[in-house]
Amino acid sequence: MRLADTVHLALRNLRESKLRTALTSLGVAIGIASLVGMVSFGVAIQDQVLGNLLRSGLFDSVTVTAAQRGGGQRGRRGGNAAERLRNAVESARLATPRVRLDDAALEKLAAIPGVKEVYPDVRVPVEVSYGDFSEFAGATGVPLSARGEGVFQRMSFGRFFPNDTDDSCLLSLEFARRINEGAPGSLVGKEITLGYAAAATPETAIPGLPGVNLQRSERKFRVVGIVERQAGPGQVGAMFAAVMIPLARARAMGVTDVSSPQGLLRQLSDQRVYSMVTVKVRRAQDTEAVEKKIADMGFNAFSIADLLESQKKAFVILDLLLGLVGSIALTVASLGIVNTMVMSILERTREIGIMKAIGGGDEDVRKIFLVEASLIGLLGGLSGIALGWAVGRVINIGANYYLQNQGVPAANLFLIPWWLMAGAIAFALMVSLVAGSFPAIRAARLDPIQALRHD
Amino acid sequence: MSLAVETRDLAKHYAMGRSVVRALDGVSISLEAGEFVGLLGTSGSGKSTLLNLIAGLDHPTSGSLRIFDRDVGEMSRVELSAHRRTNVGMIFQSFNLIPTMTAVENVALPMMFAGVVRGERELKARSLLEQVGLGGRQTHRPKELSGGEQQRVSIARALANDPQILLADEPTGNLDSHTAQEILALLRDLNTATARTVLLVTHDAALASRCARRTITLLDGKVLAEAAA
Repeated sequence: MRLADTVHLALRNLRESKLRTALTSLGVAIGIASLVGMVSFGVAIQDQVLGNLLRSGLFDSVTVTAAQRGGGQRGRRGGNAAERLRNAVESARLATPRVRLDDAALEKLAAIPGVKEVYPDVRVPVEVSYGDFSEFAGATGVPLSARGEGVFQRMSFGRFFPNDTDDSCLLSLEFARRINEGAPGSLVGKEITLGYAAAATPETAIPGLPGVNLQRSERKFRVVGIVERQAGPGQVGAMFAAVMIPLARARAMGVTDVSSPQGLLRQLSDQRVYSMVTVKVRRAQDTEAVEKKIADMGFNAFSIADLLESQKKAFVILDLLLGLVGSIALTVASLGIVNTMVMSILERTREIGIMKAIGGGDEDVRKIFLVEASLIGLLGGLSGIALGWAVGRVINIGANYYLQNQGVPAANLFLIPWWLMAGAIAFALMVSLVAGSFPAIRAARLDPIQALRHD
Repeated sequence: MSLAVETRDLAKHYAMGRSVVRALDGVSISLEAGEFVGLLGTSGSGKSTLLNLIAGLDHPTSGSLRIFDRDVGEMSRVELSAHRRTNVGMIFQSFNLIPTMTAVENVALPMMFAGVVRGERELKARSLLEQVGLGGRQTHRPKELSGGEQQRVSIARALANDPQILLADEPTGNLDSHTAQEILALLRDLNTATARTVLLVTHDAALASRCARRTITLLDGKVLAEAAA
């Protein structure tokens, strides 16, 4: 028997008893809706708590700095004095010559499997002037590939850099408010002036002055967008998040890193050496492995991903608990499927007998009933998602009304990600198949002679 | 001539509480291909049991049952359903049509189990219905048809997968005498025109002798008499 015919036959059987099919599917729908509701509630809470952090784009990146004393120091901060001493001795033994974080190293980092891209962190102190406003802030070079990622997923105003050759810049929302408290968005399209220190060219250098030769440069940048940016880790991160310029532009400008003595000294050498490099990982779950490889190469590697592991585990447990509570209704619904199928088989015993007498095999009969059960499950799953979504909307509106009355900003407390939808339908199908298999096997085993005598 | 059906010491015993019912108790008969045989007997004589065994609806307790030289008694459940699907066509006293299906769909059902595609099986179902004299009313459901019409649908369904053997269990039992004559004539035509073997089960000796060339009479699970009509 062909599958299409089995489905066709199952569908017509369901149509013959519309009310029963509808009621049984409704049971499944309520089960799925409660499951979807519970899990999506958990997802929404998780999104509220972790979302902001995840959007910062810090979880798929590893910050690499040149090791000062030796490689692989991570996780060795010992507890007691004896342990610390042992660690110190060991690190002294392991001490390797300092590995330079130069362009060759960048290439090696990029070759690590799972690495999406590698770019040096160019962070320079600048003086930002706009009209009467003038303030010292930090400028960060942002690679073009960051478009639509991390904090740049949602631009508060304007858009991301169109290319990396224009003198365009982005401002953090916080900094934009400092310039124009009332309408930060009005800054988009305006030009600001950045004053920075650059290495003097031979022509502009003051003759006879030894050491670092710097000069003040100014350059106008058009503000193309404003982005809400959570402060990075530490004070340095907060300071450097104010202005963002295209990375290639920052490197081409010959801006000098004057934030550290090392940075200044590096200007004297021919080779470009970076104090800090960001390694972007293709998938966030690879971060740890990449981090370890980088540490093995002799660099200091740090990522924020580890800090959130325990928090994520807690959310998995919360989701599981909510899912379990949600499954109770689905379990009851699956008993409804069993009941419906058993009743249906009882009613159609004679029909099963006829089908067997004219050549229907056990397998054919079993499949017809299995497909019927799974169609009930599918119908229930689809309407369950719709029902869950509708109920969730209502609860969300109610909860936000309450929250706003309490002076708390509105939050989306209900999210149905695509995996939850697909999972819910798959789960409904699976449950109905399990529920339908016992009645289906019973139907398949029916003795045709007995069944034909049945009225 | 090869044998369509051959049984040797065929027995079917049922446990009924503590006692054993010997529904069939050592039946040895043979049907030649193309024969029209009447199977006679009172109720409880074992004629329906024999028919069910030949149809592959039941397993014999002992003895051998061969259909076109294949041992039906040894067949697995899957083989038995294939046997029912392709070798035999069953016609019942109470028609046994599926009430939710139209005449065409009922006739097409055995072909559906055989995996014939929809268009093809509906085409054949329609031509079979015409062959049994039901040109119109093909899309009517069984309850919208008269008893005679229903039995014609049932006969068309029995022919769906071109079986060599037709097994009719009291096909006229629920029909008035005039309609019964028409149905019997149809069965006889099918026997002569297509050389199908027909086994007609009935308790009416006069009716059997009118269309069958040979009758076998059962009593208490044993062959009582065989006679040429």
